Amino acid sequence: MAVSEIIRSPHLGNIEWSPGCELYLPMGLPGFEDERRMIPVEVPAQRPLVFLQSLETVGTCFVSLPVRAIFPGFQLRLSEEDRLTLLFDPERELAIGADVLCLALLVPLENTVQANVDAPVVINLHNRRCLQSLPEERVDGYYRLAEGGIWEPVC
Amino acid sequence: MLVLRRRAGEAIVLGGDIEIEVMEISRTRVKLGVRAPRDVSVTRKEVVALAAENRKASDLLPNRGPQGVGELLRLLRNNPGEKSKTLAHAADK
Repeated sequence: MAVSEIIRSPHLGNIEWSPGCELYLPMGLPGFEDERRMIPVEVPAQRPLVFLQSLETVGTCFVSLPVRAIFPGFQLRLSEEDRLTLLFDPERELAIGADVLCLALLVPLENTVQANVDAPVVINLHNRRCLQSLPEERVDGYYRLAEGGIWEPVC
Repeated sequence: MLVLRRRAGEAIVLGGDIEIEVMEISRTRVKLGVRAPRDVSVTRKEVVALAAENRKASDLLPNRGPQGVGELLRLLRNNPGEKSKTLAHAADK
C-alpha cells in the first residue's frame, strides 16, 4: 500500500496524498520556475475545479478547470520541445483524458475569472510530467466566466 | 530601436557577454541561439506575459477564499468537465 503524506495547505486544509499523485514540472510554471513539484487536488464538493497545490511552497495553489469544460472544441497543440519535455514520442497521437490532462488556470478578473485556453497546463498521465504549453501564435485565446456558467470568448 | 541586418551564421553581442546567433532562417521563422551567463534569464516574450498572468492566477484562492470559490462553483454547476482518475483528494472544508 502506498505511503500517504499530508500537506497542510492554508487554502485547502490538510491534503493527504501519495507519491503516485505527485506531478513533476521540469521547468516549473512561467513566473513560478522553482515550483517543480505539485499535486492536483479535487475537493468532492468543488468539482469540476482542480486545485494545483505546490509541494514546494504551501501557500502556492492554483485553481484550474479541464480546458474542455471551458472550450469543448479545444485541440492540444504541443511543440516538439514540449513533447520532448513530457517524454512523448514525437509521432504519437495524444488523447486528452487518456494520455494527457489539460488544465486551464483560472485568473481573477473583476468579479469573475478568465482562462487562457492557449496556455494549458499539460500533464502526461503516464509519467506525471507536467508543463505549461504556449503556442507561438494565439489560437483560441481567452474565455471569461459569465452568469449561468457560460464561458464567453474575450475579444 | 536599433535595427541590424544579419545572415545565418552571423551574430550580435549585447553588453559584451551575451551573444545571439542567427542559426537558421526559413520562410516564416528564424532560429536563434543565445549564449548568456547562467544568471541571465532568456525567454520568449509571450512567456513573460504568461508569468504575470500566472502570478494573478495564484492570487485567486488567497484573495477570494472559500467563499469566492463557492461563487465560482455556483456559476459552474452545470459544467461537468473532463474527468481524471489520478488526482489527490482533500477533505471538504
